[in-house]
Amino acid sequence: MSAYAGGMERWSRVSFEDRMATVDFRVGTRAHITVDGDTCRGCTTKACVTACPANLFVPTSDGGIVFNYEQCFECGTCYLVCSNEGAITWTYPDGGDGVVFHRS
Amino acid sequence: MAGRPVVGVCLKWVDLRPDVDRLTGAVHRDERFHGASEADQAALEWALRMAEAWDGEVVAVSAGPPAAEALLRDCLATGVHRAVRVDLAPGAPSETVASVLADVLRDAAVVCCGDWSLDRGSGAVPAFLAGELGAAQALGLVRLEVGQPGSLVVTRRLDFGRRERLGVRTPAVLSVEGASATLRRASLAAVLAARDAVVEVAGGRPAAQHRLRPVHVRPYRPRPQARPGPDPALDPRLRLLQLTGAAVERTPPRTVVTDDADEAAELLLEQLRAWGYLT
Amino acid sequence: MPEATTPTVAPSRPSLATAGRPRDAVVDAPATPDFDLVVVGAGPAGAAAALVAARAGLRVCLLERGPFPGAKNMYGGVIYARILDDLIPNWWDEAPVQRWVTRRATVVLTESQALTIDFRSSAWGEPPYNGATAFRPDFDAWLAGKAEAAGATVVTSTTATGLLRDGAGHICGVRTDRPDGDLTARLVVACDGVNSFLAKQAGLYHHEDPKHFTLGAKEVLALPRDEVEKRFVLSGREGADFEIIGGTRGIPGGGFIYTNLDSIAIGVVLGLDGLRKAKVRPEELIADLKRHPMIAPLVDGAQLQEYSAHLIPEAGLEMMPELSTDGMLVAGDAAAMCLAAGIWLEGVNFAIGSGIAAGETAVEAVRRGDVSDHGLAGYRRRLESNFVLRDHTKLRRAPSLVMSERVQQRYPQLTCDLVEALFTVTNPEPKQGAFRAARHHAKRSGVRLRDLARDGWTALRTYG
Ligand SMILES: Cc1cc2nc3c(=O)[nH]c(=O)nc-3n(C[C@H](O)[C@H](O)[C@H](O)COP(=O)(O)OP(=O)(O)OC[C@H]3O[C@@H](n4cnc5c(N)ncnc54)[C@H](O)[C@@H]3O)c2cc1C
Ligand code: SF4
Ligand code: SF4
Repeated sequence: MSAYAGGMERWSRVSFEDRMATVDFRVGTRAHITVDGDTCRGCTTKACVTACPANLFVPTSDGGIVFNYEQCFECGTCYLVCSNEGAITWTYPDGGDGVVFHRS
Repeated sequence: MAGRPVVGVCLKWVDLRPDVDRLTGAVHRDERFHGASEADQAALEWALRMAEAWDGEVVAVSAGPPAAEALLRDCLATGVHRAVRVDLAPGAPSETVASVLADVLRDAAVVCCGDWSLDRGSGAVPAFLAGELGAAQALGLVRLEVGQPGSLVVTRRLDFGRRERLGVRTPAVLSVEGASATLRRASLAAVLAARDAVVEVAGGRPAAQHRLRPVHVRPYRPRPQARPGPDPALDPRLRLLQLTGAAVERTPPRTVVTDDADEAAELLLEQLRAWGYLT
Repeated sequence: MPEATTPTVAPSRPSLATAGRPRDAVVDAPATPDFDLVVVGAGPAGAAAALVAARAGLRVCLLERGPFPGAKNMYGGVIYARILDDLIPNWWDEAPVQRWVTRRATVVLTESQALTIDFRSSAWGEPPYNGATAFRPDFDAWLAGKAEAAGATVVTSTTATGLLRDGAGHICGVRTDRPDGDLTARLVVACDGVNSFLAKQAGLYHHEDPKHFTLGAKEVLALPRDEVEKRFVLSGREGADFEIIGGTRGIPGGGFIYTNLDSIAIGVVLGLDGLRKAKVRPEELIADLKRHPMIAPLVDGAQLQEYSAHLIPEAGLEMMPELSTDGMLVAGDAAAMCLAAGIWLEGVNFAIGSGIAAGETAVEAVRRGDVSDHGLAGYRRRLESNFVLRDHTKLRRAPSLVMSERVQQRYPQLTCDLVEALFTVTNPEPKQGAFRAARHHAKRSGVRLRDLARDGWTALRTYG
């Protein structure tokens, strides 16, 4: 779905996996964000699914959400767009774990 | 040494994520991104556990440039008793590295190492080290059971997912996998104290006495493989299809999304069984 | 992962609660705390506060959750560092800079059009310079290194998880995620960035609204150095800064392009409320930008080197928390001091400016032995007398104006259509008068002249 008709497109398209592979994540053993699937089942907006820049919220066929914490930017977008109190428990990873930017 | 048993641990100061220039292929290394690999961290954790069980002392050694002292300070913060840096230029051959490490670790009952270093290491340093120390060697360890002082039972990985339990008598050099243990976190007070702690520096020894000497190292290149070409008798379209494998029947990937852990595990097992990996 | 068999030291890992849930621990404040000052967060705000306080002889601890200062920090790309002139004379000789911005373009985008105001100044390419592109893992590490050299104790890989309060309820330190992780201090400076859980736990924020935040997502694209210079018409260390209005499918926000030495940064800034409703993924909007006919030639063939994302506190004064409480000051993004007002996106300089003020106030308060809210009143005074709060007060209307539907969706189209009409030669038709064209296009894009006049007046009062 493109907003622009007929532009040049010679820049290389990368898959989302390759996009995330450009980022250095030091994955810790503790899930620093957890999502309560039951609360999500009743959620009509599912705002997290499109808003999370790391695409970590995956809707399941039965209306729930599967969440993986490993490749998270620790930005905070998800807890701010989420309309259901208690669906997301958000903490920073333990010191030293998580995203490490190199040239941002 | 008659006193407390010494447990050595060898850690390498490596770039955890070297920056490869996508345009030129040049590799940029940056101290900020350096540290110990997961395997080396696991080795440190096992060394600490052994010393705790045996009322011993842990000596951490790293052969590398002065910047590697940051890594040794982290070791001191986790509870290591002595930290030694052997001054060694990067890129030294495994035998040199092992011999300078051995100089520091002559008294060690056990030396723990990571299975191999991140920077295309061969995993040879522990073997050379065992040779230098006249010690037993066990490699590819996924688990250690620490018994009475001097006695260890270790589990190592064999091919095809098999495991082997070994009784190891000291002195021994052990190389462990990264997933075998998670390094404990240093307490805040220990981190603060380690900032001013002494990291001993030992000079490397001259490289002349080596039994092995690399004469020439060729850059790593994947080998070309001979593949049978498509049948020349076929028409171009069929040859192309044969080359690309485009029209060959294959099992499409199966994607299942579920948030039920039990169900997910069951599905994985089922698939592994279907593929014949499990019976 | 096969887990350990032998029991390990089980570190207690208290975790942060979601916004606002207090996790304060009550402790007996020791007579001699571990430090005079604990600064949480080694971003530009924290590093500046620690530098000032350490130079004045305070015992300072600078706490950072990343493995090194700057590791967690991402932004667009330009630092306006004149605020460092006094603190680090000739900072430009040593700061890790990519390029000096000598070309600043403001671009108004529609789907097929682009109107650019392109300004160049060679004065900006010489000391004392104006803006510099830089990588934050470089810049923040450099600035925190200055604080360390001045005597501050920098502790990395350690997350502050809550506040410590004494029996009287005064803040007297922070709890960290390390075993035995309590760190006591006479005064805490919270420089923990946009999500500031410390300021929220201290009760300094009264409400939290996604409308006040924007998400920035960006790609760093590798391009050979000479190619960057050719495409952006630069030489030597000259750099370009493009601020883009429009082009985000109507989601309030905008875009940017910055040049590094041998890469370019391209990204979008998206209002969270708009993003929530639009159901578009951030990277798709970056892809839109890269496809735009005006931008595509600039990024053609460039390789993705790093993708990143971070929040921006967008609403300025409207969201700003209380700036101090007994035993604690808040600075930088943690106090929403980032200036995000359409044609300006400045946060690093505001962080440093407020960090300096916090450092100075801390020195004064610790020396006087009064770290109560009252004793910290000098902080607000300092901010009000320099650019930090003055700019925010002057530009207080800008965020809501810039994020309004008209400015975001209708004006870009209107402006571009108007300019297109002015410059399209339709002989044998005679030229249309500019005013007639304006009326015609305003009507076509659904803009009422009354609104246009009112927004124009607001803009004049805001930016004038
Ligand atoms: C997309 C985008 C583009 C931007 N573009 C520009 C620009 O071009 N120019 C400009 O001047 N500004 C820009 N900004 C704004 C600028 O980045 C911020 O205003 C600035 O970084 C604020 O500095 P700070 O020190 O207050 O916070 P930060 O830089 O966020 O630093 C906070 C620090 O605290 C640490 N921390 C947080 N919590 C804890 C904790 N609990 N324990 C320990 N440590 C903790 C973090 O790891 C981090 O290092 C941009 C921002 C974004 C997101
Ligand atoms: S996390 Fe929040 S926004 Fe996402 S599905 Fe669950 S309740 Fe809805
Ligand atoms: S913090 Fe940001 S990157 Fe992480 S899950 Fe939430 S939205 Fe995604």
